[in-house]
Amino acid sequence: MKPHRAWLTASGCAAVLVLAACGGSSAPVTHKTVSQVFTYDTLSQVMVDGWDPATEYSNGILAMSNMYETLTRYNPVTHAVGPLLATSWSKSANGLTWTFQLRHGVYFHTGRPMTAQATKAAILRTVKLNGGAAYIWGAVKAIDTPAPYILVFHLKYPAPLDLEASADYSAYIYDTKAAGSGSLTKWLNTPHDAGTGPYTVAAWSKGQEFEVIQKAFPRYWGGWSGAHFKKVVFRVVPQDTTSAQLLRTGQVSFVEQMNPSLWKSLRGAPGVKLMTSPSWQNLLGQLNAKALSLPVRQAISYAINYQGIVAALQGAAVPSSGIVPAGLLGHFSNLPNYTYDPAKAKRLLNQAGYGPGKKPLNLTLTYTQGDSNEQVVATLIKSSLARLNVNLRVQSLAWPTQWARGKSANAAQHQDIFMEYWWPDYADPYSWFVNLLQSQKQPYFNLSYYSNPKLDSQINRVESLVATNRTAGVQLYRTMQDEILQQAPIAFLYNDNYQYAMSAGFSGLKVNPAYPNVVFAYDLKPTGS
Amino acid sequence: MIEAPTPMPAAASRLPRGQALRRGLAANPLLVAGGAGAVLIVAVAVFAPVLAPFPGDAGTATHPFLVLRPPSAQHWLGTDNVGRDVLSRVLYGARISPLIAVIVLLIACAIGLPLGLAAGYFGGWLDEVIMRVTDIFLAFPPLLLALALAAVLPASLTTVVIAIAATWWPWYTRLVRGQAASVAGRPYIESCRALGISRRKIIGRHILPNAVTPLIVQMSLDVGGVILTASALSFLGLGAQDPTPDWGLMVSEGQSYFTTAWWVVTFPGIAILFTAFAFNLLGDGLRDLLDPRRTFLR
Amino acid sequence: MIVYAARRAALAVLVVAGVIVLTFVIARVVPGDPAATWAGPHASAAQVAAARRFLGLDRPAAVQLLAYFGGIAAGTWGVSVHTHQPVLSDIATVAPASLELVLAALVIALVTGVPLGLLSARRPGRPLDHGIRAVSILGVSMPIFWMALILQLVFAQRLRLLPAAGEFSPGLLFTHPLARHTGFDVIDALITGNWQMLGSTLGHLLLPAIVVAAYPAGLIARIVRAQVLDTIGETHVQMVRALGFPERAVFGRFAMKLAWNPVAATLALVFGYSLVNTFLVEDVFDWPGLGSYAAASISTLDTPAILGVTLFIALVYVVANLVVDIVQAALDPRIRLR
Repeated sequence: MKPHRAWLTASGCAAVLVLAACGGSSAPVTHKTVSQVFTYDTLSQVMVDGWDPATEYSNGILAMSNMYETLTRYNPVTHAVGPLLATSWSKSANGLTWTFQLRHGVYFHTGRPMTAQATKAAILRTVKLNGGAAYIWGAVKAIDTPAPYILVFHLKYPAPLDLEASADYSAYIYDTKAAGSGSLTKWLNTPHDAGTGPYTVAAWSKGQEFEVIQKAFPRYWGGWSGAHFKKVVFRVVPQDTTSAQLLRTGQVSFVEQMNPSLWKSLRGAPGVKLMTSPSWQNLLGQLNAKALSLPVRQAISYAINYQGIVAALQGAAVPSSGIVPAGLLGHFSNLPNYTYDPAKAKRLLNQAGYGPGKKPLNLTLTYTQGDSNEQVVATLIKSSLARLNVNLRVQSLAWPTQWARGKSANAAQHQDIFMEYWWPDYADPYSWFVNLLQSQKQPYFNLSYYSNPKLDSQINRVESLVATNRTAGVQLYRTMQDEILQQAPIAFLYNDNYQYAMSAGFSGLKVNPAYPNVVFAYDLKPTGS
Repeated sequence: MIEAPTPMPAAASRLPRGQALRRGLAANPLLVAGGAGAVLIVAVAVFAPVLAPFPGDAGTATHPFLVLRPPSAQHWLGTDNVGRDVLSRVLYGARISPLIAVIVLLIACAIGLPLGLAAGYFGGWLDEVIMRVTDIFLAFPPLLLALALAAVLPASLTTVVIAIAATWWPWYTRLVRGQAASVAGRPYIESCRALGISRRKIIGRHILPNAVTPLIVQMSLDVGGVILTASALSFLGLGAQDPTPDWGLMVSEGQSYFTTAWWVVTFPGIAILFTAFAFNLLGDGLRDLLDPRRTFLR
Repeated sequence: MIVYAARRAALAVLVVAGVIVLTFVIARVVPGDPAATWAGPHASAAQVAAARRFLGLDRPAAVQLLAYFGGIAAGTWGVSVHTHQPVLSDIATVAPASLELVLAALVIALVTGVPLGLLSARRPGRPLDHGIRAVSILGVSMPIFWMALILQLVFAQRLRLLPAAGEFSPGLLFTHPLARHTGFDVIDALITGNWQMLGSTLGHLLLPAIVVAAYPAGLIARIVRAQVLDTIGETHVQMVRALGFPERAVFGRFAMKLAWNPVAATLALVFGYSLVNTFLVEDVFDWPGLGSYAAASISTLDTPAILGVTLFIALVYVVANLVVDIVQAALDPRIRLR
């Protein structure tokens, strides 16, 4: 073919293809049919901790909360737990025996019925594996199953078992016989799920964009009458600007996180709904207690511009007071919190031989890559410290890498400041203390590597104290927070104010701070508007 | 950008040198535009501390109560996500990109010139070995080798310089070798050798000058390419680290605010585009001017 | 011809061996002492020595290199740190999406670059020529990652003309699921007759492909212009003009014919260059290809994956150059004699 004709033909083909493309793709969702698919848009991979509900301690609860259920569930309106897999419960006078009545007609996704025996087996296995938040069952001495639907717990010391059973980690009830004689963990990681929840896993594409797809479980005890979503998709979109765009065009139903100015810009967008809610999630800077002396830690705490951080985050943050967020027992707004005081910080640094004009201090901070709020905070901290002759090297790492470095047995790899969010395992402040501040031989989440024997024994006591003498227990939380603030193993950067953006095509979403960022898709009603 | 360097054939002279130069300049407005742009960028780089309204913002200063302000009388190009003045940072950024380009190209020359001369003049097995080694380096598309190196070295501007220099030196070796080989094969070089003139004099007086002109032309063509590569590496997080006011880094930091605060990404990007464009125009025009094969200037 | 092809192929094999050695050097030798990095900055000498043994670095370099070679040949390119899958299988999953993108970009580049170059060569020195030259140089001066953001903002968000991200509309996952045969979405949609999916994939391909096409289009325009102007002066073309062929034919049929050769050579160069450019573009468009994989590997410090991708692209590039060389030699016998 002659050259210029060849070119004509090629461009003609290309033009036809382009037209076909425009025609075929110009369907930004304008259809009026009710979508049966709920798409949850998240920043990072969901199933990073495996598929075992007993040991899950990360983002996996986003997906697992649809596939698995707990005995009770926290209700943010009544501030108490309500029935889920258990219909009612009572405790003995001395608080050492709890009796739960289980719901009839509940089936695992494997087909077997949920009985007291199966429930007991699940809890015992979770305790045995001792992963995730298994400590929540720490008070349990023995479990009895006097009848097929009655579960009796015998405790070593009084504890709020109904609250603990509602935890977002390690409280799931699952079928331990699902894999037969084989390894249950292996079977679960295939993946399969052995839960009782309204949805079951349909597909998993590890590391891909449409990571998890769930479909409705027909035999769910709640039934499927009325309008319900039939499929749930977890879509991983690392760029929040892309997420906003996907929300505007109706391609996702709910966006977990986006930077505040982006969230504000969605106000008034057609088909989009915005929601804010206080949370029990806070951002912490864990200061390396092994590498940094007390004056240095306190200096850093005085060097942080807390009000500046709140201002820079434009509504996504509120100032912290102590370690326990508002809305939970143990929160006090009048604790001796740190304020931004560069002069004090300078004096403290001078005590340790550092500061302006003296020898420079070189520190490393790690934060989770992809989180623009953390990036802003890290930059602001770096800037404040630079004025005090402290050179902060800021490293952004993918969460698994950041955590692995912090947990590493090699102390030389440890950072000086570890930035992460924390939220409670159940509606109680205990989680912060036991996970972040109790001495750990192998660091897990105590990434300040802090060890304080007096605090350790207080932490061991506080749960049962709250159960027996509430006032004394609350006072103990106050005492512990005073000590923690004075010792400064953690800088309390801010408390999250959830800013969610979602499609207007469904109703019924209630933000539940006890299950952070979790959407119970079954409770939603697709309206297709 | 990298174009396969073309060897220069024996020049057929058309006009006396000076006249050709002046006519060339007049007929080549792009060269003039490119040159003006390059001069402007260098001037900005030199005078940045004077021109920038908030010089501290190019360092560790932050202003948390002024985040993401749109362009206004106080901040002509707005502020970024920690309240820093975008204009000041863009101005200071002019110090970084061209400097990196110059350093990279000088290093690449420092390696390529002697290797190329040696390969071209001596020929034989030395030539073969050097050519095979450059083949291996050239087997990587330009950005790739730089990326792989930058990914395994700690992220910094030094890494960027090393990574890009490692990518660029084989081109110059090839170019110089081609020139050296073609000149070394000429009869008058034989006569020089026969007359007993030292090798060093032959290389220094006869071969080197012929090799330098295309090398300079190629270098001016490459400045734009190096600037783009360096900003790409910084965009990926492998180069400059905050708070260095590197343009590529500024684009990547502003990415998630782009749809609501367009100024954070737009202005550094325009700076990269303008700089690369100016230097590419300059290089292109220079090549036209100095390469006698381009007869269509008339 | 066969001799030429064989010679080139042998050379390519040598180059590939060298590429593997070079990636080995980068992997093991460049980052200072990997054992020291592994052990940490405050480690004792004993800890570093233990790390060295653990990483197999205490074996002589030649042995390590041989082991590396053997691994590559056997197909074990290491295991990715962040997906825990063999790197080669990861690459096989993500490569088709990038190849699709690059091929689409090259098509767009040819379709825009060649006519622009010809137009420019028609009246050299005139305003149109300068204008087109400026535009071509603009194309090769464009920071790709920035162009991607701008185009996405303008066309996808403000004007709503094109989709913002992804390979296809996710609703189609359920209504018109794509049966995968080749791994290339467009081809699979074509051969299975899934027209909805075809339209959707082409639509999503357009914007990223345009971004990636900017550089090759500019380059091709400049090369076509330069080549055509060179050959216009040649005797046989002057003769064609003298024989009375219209200017369009002189340029289109005769001059352009000779220009295809260097354009073809350039295609191999820009193919490799564009494949690496996808690293900068895929993240913005949520395109699940090599670029996203490489960007994720960089952020998770996944060295085996980064080097695997490097090796893969280098090998593809060597093969592409080899193919182009042989095709050129087949078309132009003069080359074989060099």
